[in-house]
Formats: sequence, C-alpha cells, structure tokens
Amino acid sequence: MKQEIIDKLKAIVGEENIRTDPADRYIYGSDSSVHVANADVVLRPRTTEQVQAIARLANAEKIPIIPRGAGSGMSGHAVPIDGGIVLDMKRMNKILEIRPEDTLVKVQPGVVDDDLNRALKPYGFMFPPAPASSRIATIGGEIANNASGIRSVKYGATRDSVLGMKVVLANGDLVNLGANTRVEASGYQLDRLMVGSEGTLGIIVEATLKLVPIPKYRCIGIAKFDKLEEAGEAICDVISSGAQPSMLELMDNIAITAVNNTLDMGLPDVEAILLFEADGMVKEAVDFEMERIKAICEKHNGFGIEMSYDAKERARIYAGRKKLFASLSRYKEGYACTSLADDMAVPYSKMAETARKIHDVADKNNIIMTAYGHCGSGVMHTKILMDPTKKEQWEDARRAVEEIYDYVRSIGGTTSAEHGIALSKAPSWKKEKADQLDLMRAVKKAFDPNNILNPHKLMDAPDDWVTATKLRYPVEK
Amino acid sequence: METKYLNVWKNELDICIRCGYCFEKCPVFGVLNWESDTPRGKAILAYGLLSGEIEPSQELADKFFQCTFCRECLGSCSADVKLIDLFSAARADMITAGFAHDAHKYMVESVKKTGNIFNDSELKAPVSEGETTVYLGCQYLGRGNLTKTYLNILEKLGIKPRVKEEICCGFPFMALGFRDEFEEHRKKFLEMFPEEDIIALCPTCAAFLEEEYGKKVRHVMEVIAERVPEAKLGGKVTYHDPCDFSRELGLIDEPREILEKIGVEVVEMPRNKKDSSCCGGGGGILMSDAELSGRIADGRIREAVATGAEMLVTPCPTCEKVLKEASMALNKEGENNIPVRNICQLIWKAIK
Ligand SMILES: Cc1cc2nc3c(=O)[nH]c(=O)nc-3n(C[C@H](O)[C@H](O)[C@H](O)COP(=O)(O)OP(=O)(O)OC[C@H]3O[C@@H](n4cnc5c(N)ncnc54)[C@H](O)[C@@H]3O)c2cc1C
Ligand code: SF4
Ligand code: SF4
Repeated sequence: MKQEIIDKLKAIVGEENIRTDPADRYIYGSDSSVHVANADVVLRPRTTEQVQAIARLANAEKIPIIPRGAGSGMSGHAVPIDGGIVLDMKRMNKILEIRPEDTLVKVQPGVVDDDLNRALKPYGFMFPPAPASSRIATIGGEIANNASGIRSVKYGATRDSVLGMKVVLANGDLVNLGANTRVEASGYQLDRLMVGSEGTLGIIVEATLKLVPIPKYRCIGIAKFDKLEEAGEAICDVISSGAQPSMLELMDNIAITAVNNTLDMGLPDVEAILLFEADGMVKEAVDFEMERIKAICEKHNGFGIEMSYDAKERARIYAGRKKLFASLSRYKEGYACTSLADDMAVPYSKMAETARKIHDVADKNNIIMTAYGHCGSGVMHTKILMDPTKKEQWEDARRAVEEIYDYVRSIGGTTSAEHGIALSKAPSWKKEKADQLDLMRAVKKAFDPNNILNPHKLMDAPDDWVTATKLRYPVEK
Repeated sequence: METKYLNVWKNELDICIRCGYCFEKCPVFGVLNWESDTPRGKAILAYGLLSGEIEPSQELADKFFQCTFCRECLGSCSADVKLIDLFSAARADMITAGFAHDAHKYMVESVKKTGNIFNDSELKAPVSEGETTVYLGCQYLGRGNLTKTYLNILEKLGIKPRVKEEICCGFPFMALGFRDEFEEHRKKFLEMFPEEDIIALCPTCAAFLEEEYGKKVRHVMEVIAERVPEAKLGGKVTYHDPCDFSRELGLIDEPREILEKIGVEVVEMPRNKKDSSCCGGGGGILMSDAELSGRIADGRIREAVATGAEMLVTPCPTCEKVLKEASMALNKEGENNIPVRNICQLIWKAIK
C-alpha cells in the first residue's frame, strides 16, 4: 500500500490505531478457517466518523475493507483474500443504551456477546442467539454471519433478534436501517438484508437488538439410543409434537468416543445421545415439556434418561457436548480438526439418514467425520478430521465436502445453517442458489459499486475452496 | 531461522483451531487490544516462524516476551493447546537467533554469577538445621523479613525448618527462553537440592520444582492450612490468587481456610480462584515492559479497591510487590487505594 494512503489512514485513526508491520498483517490474515491471506494494513477505529472517513478513502482508492470482529468465523469470512484494510471493530465496544421497558438494547458492533449478556442479567433480560463462541464473538460478527446456537430451536437466530442498525456504506454514507419497534410493516427490509451479508454490503456501526426475559427455570435431560435412526425419529417426533425444547442436541458415536477417549468423560458407548432442555417462567410448564420429550424418547427406545434442574448437575450432563470440540482436535495423533462442511441444515425427517451419510462419505474418502449438532433446529454439525500436512488428504476432503453437499441439496437441505459461507462453503452454496446469483451480484453492486467491502466472498468467491487462498497448514509440496 | 525448540510443537500448532477463545481473558490483550498480542496471535506467529513465512526480528521477539505466563489461556483453550510451552519454545528460538531482551539477559547472567536474580552475592539464606527442607526462592531470599515470618510460623506450628544455602530454582532460564544455558544450572541445582520432599515459600518456585525436577513439593500454605489454630484476629480482606498458585497448583481453598480460621473475613473480587486475573508481574514482563505490567496491575488493584476490603493479601512475593506499586500509583493520582500485604503477616499476627 502506498505510503501516502497509509499516512492518510494514520491521520484518521491516530498513530496508535494503525499497524502495518509484517507480524500484524500476518496475524490479521487468518481466522478460524483453513484459509489465510495477508492484510496490507490493520486499523482500529473508535468512532462512526472514523469508519466513514476510512470508507471514503478506500472507495476513492478502490482498496478492499474487511470488517473484523473476533475473527472466529470458520469459513474465511474475515480473511483478506485480496489484501487491503482489515478493520478491527473490537474497540467500538460500548453498550449505548439498555431499555428494559422497551425490551431493547443499543450497542456498538464490537461488544462481545457474553459481555452484553452479563450487562443485561441484572435487568432480567438476555440476548438469546448464544453461539458456542459467545465468549469472544462480537455482535457485529454475529449479525454479519446471522449466528445462532444451541437455543435457536426456541429463540431463533440473530436475524430474529435484530430490530435495526446503523451502517456505513462503501461510499462512507451513514444509513439508519430498521426501526426501534417490535414490528415494522412493508418496504424493503434492508436491515434484514444486512444480517448474514458477511461484511460485503456495509459496515455495521450500531445495532438495536431485541431482548427476551431470562427464564426462571431451566431443566436439562439426556437420553441414550442404541440406534442412531431411533434418535433421529425421536427428534422428528419431539418437534412435530409441538413440544418446545429450548435445546435439542444430538451426539453420534464418533462424538461420544472422541469425548471419552480424550477427556475420559465416561459417556455410554451407544450409537447416539440426545440432550434436551426446556426453560420457562413457570416450573410446571417446564416439567410438562420435559415429561413430553422424555416420553417421546422412551417411545423410540431411548433409555438411561436423566433430568435435572440443578446447575451443577446440568453442567455435568452437558459437559461432554461442551468439550466436544477439544476432544475432536485430539481424536487421532497427527490429525487436525478442520471446519469443513461443518453446519448444514436438513429436514428433521432426514437427520439420522444425514448422520449415516456423513459416516459413509468419510469412510469412502479416508477421513474421519462426526455428526452432532443443534438438531432441534435441523442443524447437523460435523468436522473433518484429517492429516492436514498430506496433499492427498486435501483431495479427499474436497471430494467428501462435495459429496456431502450434493446429498444435502438433494434432500432439500441447505449448505450452512449458522456459520456462514465466505470461502470454504461458497462452491456448494453457489450451486444451491444458482438462480439467485445474478440478483445477489446486482444487490452487491448497488451497495458497493467498486467492490471494496469484503470482496470475493459468497457469490464472488472462487469456485475451488482448496485453492481459494493459501491453506493455514504446512501441506507438503 | 533455526527453530530447534518450536519444532517440537509443530503438531500442536495444527491442533489449534484458531478459535480465539484463548484471548477472552488474556491480560495482555485486555490492555493492548491488538490481536497480535493475544495467545492465538502468538501461536500464529510461531507457525509463521516455523513455516518461514515470517522473518524473525526484535519486534517479533518482543511479542513473545509480552506474556505474563498467567496460564489463563490454557484454561480457555478449546483444544487444550500447550500454549505456555509453545511460547517458551518460541522465546528460546528467538534468543538463539539473537533477539534476547537485555533485561532478561541481565537477570540470567545474574543467576549464573551470584546464584540469584538480584545479582547480589551477599544475599544469603538464613541457614538453619532442621527436619524439613524449606526452599525460599530468590524473591523471598531478597525479603528477609517475610522469610523470617514464614519460618517463625512453621516453627510455631511444630515444624523444624531446614534452610540451606540456595541458588535460584532455574525458572527464569526456562521461562525467559535461555534453555541452552539451563542444563548446567539444572545440574548445579540438583547437586544442592537432592532431597525429594521440599516445602516451598514461593508459588512459582513450587510449581517449577514440581514440573521441572519432579520433586514432591508442598507449598507452605498447604502446611499452614493443616496446622493453623483458630484465632480471632478480625478484619476484612480481599485475597488475590496468584496464577501459579490457583491455576497450576490448584491451591484455592487453603489460604481462604487459613484466613477464616484466624478470624479474618474474606471479600472476593469479581475474578477469583481459578478465574483470578493476573497481577501483571509474571513471565519477565516486569523487566521487559514495566509499563504494560503496571497497566495490568492497575486493573487488578482497582478490582480490589472496589471490594471495600481493608487490605489485599496474597502469598506470592511478586504479586505483592507489583500490586503494592499499583496501589501506590493510585494514591499518587489521588484515588482510593488499598494496603497490600503478604498473607504471612496476618497469619503471624494471629498466632504468635
Ligand atoms: C469454536 C467455535 C464455535 C462456534 N460456534 C458457533 C455457533 O454455535 N453458532 C454460530 O452461529 N457460529 C459459531 N461459530 C462461528 C463464529 O463464531 C460466529 O459466526 C460469530 O458470529 C463470528 O463473530 P466474530 O466477531 O468472530 O466475527 P468475525 O469472524 O470477525 O467476522 C465474521 C464476518 O462478519 C463480518 N463483520 C464483523 N464485524 C462486522 C461489522 N461491524 N460490520 C459488518 N460486517 C462485520 C466480517 O467481515 C466477516 O465476514 C463458532 C466459531 C468457533 C471458532
Ligand atoms: S499466559 Fe496469560 S498473558 Fe500469556 S498469552 Fe496466556 S493469557 Fe495471555
Ligand atoms: S483457544 Fe486454543 S485452539 Fe483456540 S485459538 Fe487459542 S490456542 Fe488455538
């Protein structure tokens, strides 16, 4: 980047908020995905005016801007594929207004989800999307990725909790989208368009979020199944019965084995485990939900069912699921846990079949895959475990990813339920949305005619995710 | 660049899923707020050094030195990555490449020359015959009054401490990255301390003697907790858990039980026990980046002031020193502050 531009950027954010040295450019070139690419410059804006000035300059000079929260995206969302400015939004982290009487909160985009929920607790409210990464994920990143989590079965995704936002456009203009009210009638709902736009349409500088009361009672349960199919049928039945779990999670045998092997958790060696939770303000109502779910599990031969309201017991029952990620990372010596084909959504009736398919595809392609996830919302998570240093393993992964996504589309599922598309999932997603790509490109052009905002992601991402960027692993030549 | 020490951790870097969970509570990130100053950032840099994508430089070395070794990131890591070992390996390779920090070099040279980190050959342990070997460690060696208090407490509780001539446990060599030079020191140390069972006064030494030499170490607080009689000292204190003490040695209940037994009320800071926040004094940053250390300490001392306690107590001489300075700095700025004391001072007052 030309020194003259760096000087101008320095004048906007101040000397202490700009970094151009190789180490910073390298670090800010990666996130939680397999992709890496160096940034040219990293900026930490503090104010909306600074973000506007940066956008104006970048737009005039046609320099890419990649907004960045915590960099916990799993598909290369914040990876600066064309270099440019990485805009670290974590310092815009003020909670601006908590308005319990209006059940809303106004925040800057760098506020961390858990910090927000800690601040809301004394008011008896919560911001419910709760992705597993809530300890670091920023509200900006959650909105841009439309994140969701274990409780989305009851409370929905981020999209369902956003009322409005202020956005800096590519040309530096500031627009005020959405409203402060629960409902807003017709007209293009541009705030909704922004949710899930992955930093490609605008830079969110403020958000108005909808709050829900913290439930007084929470009860968790666990059921074991000797047959994966029976767990799948139970999931279907729970949802179609009208029961209202606040969590419904599946763990397959590989997930169970991983947790047992690496963390000695002593989970039962069964084909599947279902974890379920109900919450509410009235204990009888929670009891009612839990009993309903329990009965359905039993009908499908679920056994060893335990249920508890006690916080310690709840933590014990959930511990295996919570520690799953760590155990997958250490499942097999020399293998790494990669976020690929990691979060499709499928119809409830296809949950068990999808899990089986995942295992078959993995076996066929010399990799290890597990099936788990927020099945109450139709989310099937998996991870690809492989030796990332071997070139042929990337070919194996490429085939496996393609086969799984072909299958998911064939059963009416979708490429990504919650983690987003960016680079790794773009090839499948583009196939899924083939009829809309031109329209999406037209929308992008209307918002960002010079293609400076997080360019070459989503519909503009390369067709081969393996070669889209350098990989973060030492792949042998 | 030669990456003799980092090579061992190649696989560990692939196991890291780069989730960023480890930076949630990192005190260095909390103050500096650049991702390059996070544990994940350091791990990515270590990968860059190994792969040759990043050239070593003093600025880069300084990033690895900006770490208090507080172990907070180990508890947050979602993949159980051995971050501290990784950082200390990176420091070692950076030192081999010629990027040692002058202040760290001086400290290690001091140990080699005088046996202690203060470069003071006059500093001698109060040698005494006894039954149980007590290892003081440099920090207590340099603070004779506190050491005497601990020894008095042990005697009062029926233990005859055996204090020998000492040299540094060697932690600075390993932590600061002077690994090649550690081997010789290690031999010397083992010659002087062949015994298996040791009572240690300093939390960091205790953890190091256990980890590095496989000694059966009891920290003096464990011993006191078993024997301290009830007393009615009174007062309200807040207790600061030193990182090595709570997160590595798991000594959380013992000091609290002691305080309760001697009749002192404990008001907890919001971050306590295994979740305690760092004082800012560890990992060598006190010497290499005193300003950063001071800023971390400032955060912790403000937490202590907000409890409304009459004083802050802690068993670690480094935490005590750093927090005392932070408290004095608050006072200078005309803000409310809090007296900081070593926990032994209260215990002795209660039982003497
Ligand atoms: C271990 C782990 C567990 C996870 N669990 C979940 C889960 O349960 N559910 C889930 O949904 N996700 C999960 N994720 C994925 C990820 O954490 C979420 O998508 C999260 O919302 C990303 O937030 P972030 O602050 O890290 O954003 P980043 O990764 O920094 O950025 C994500 C995207 O948002 C854009 N962006 C960031 N800030 C702004 C802004 N202010 N304006 C415009 N665009 C912006 C970026 O350009 C990028 O495209 C997980 C990730 C990890 C590593
Ligand atoms: S040991 Fe402490 S200071 Fe060092 S990286 Fe980990 S959390 Fe940060
Ligand atoms: S928490 Fe662990 S796995 Fe995640 S980035 Fe930090 S070191 Fe890597």
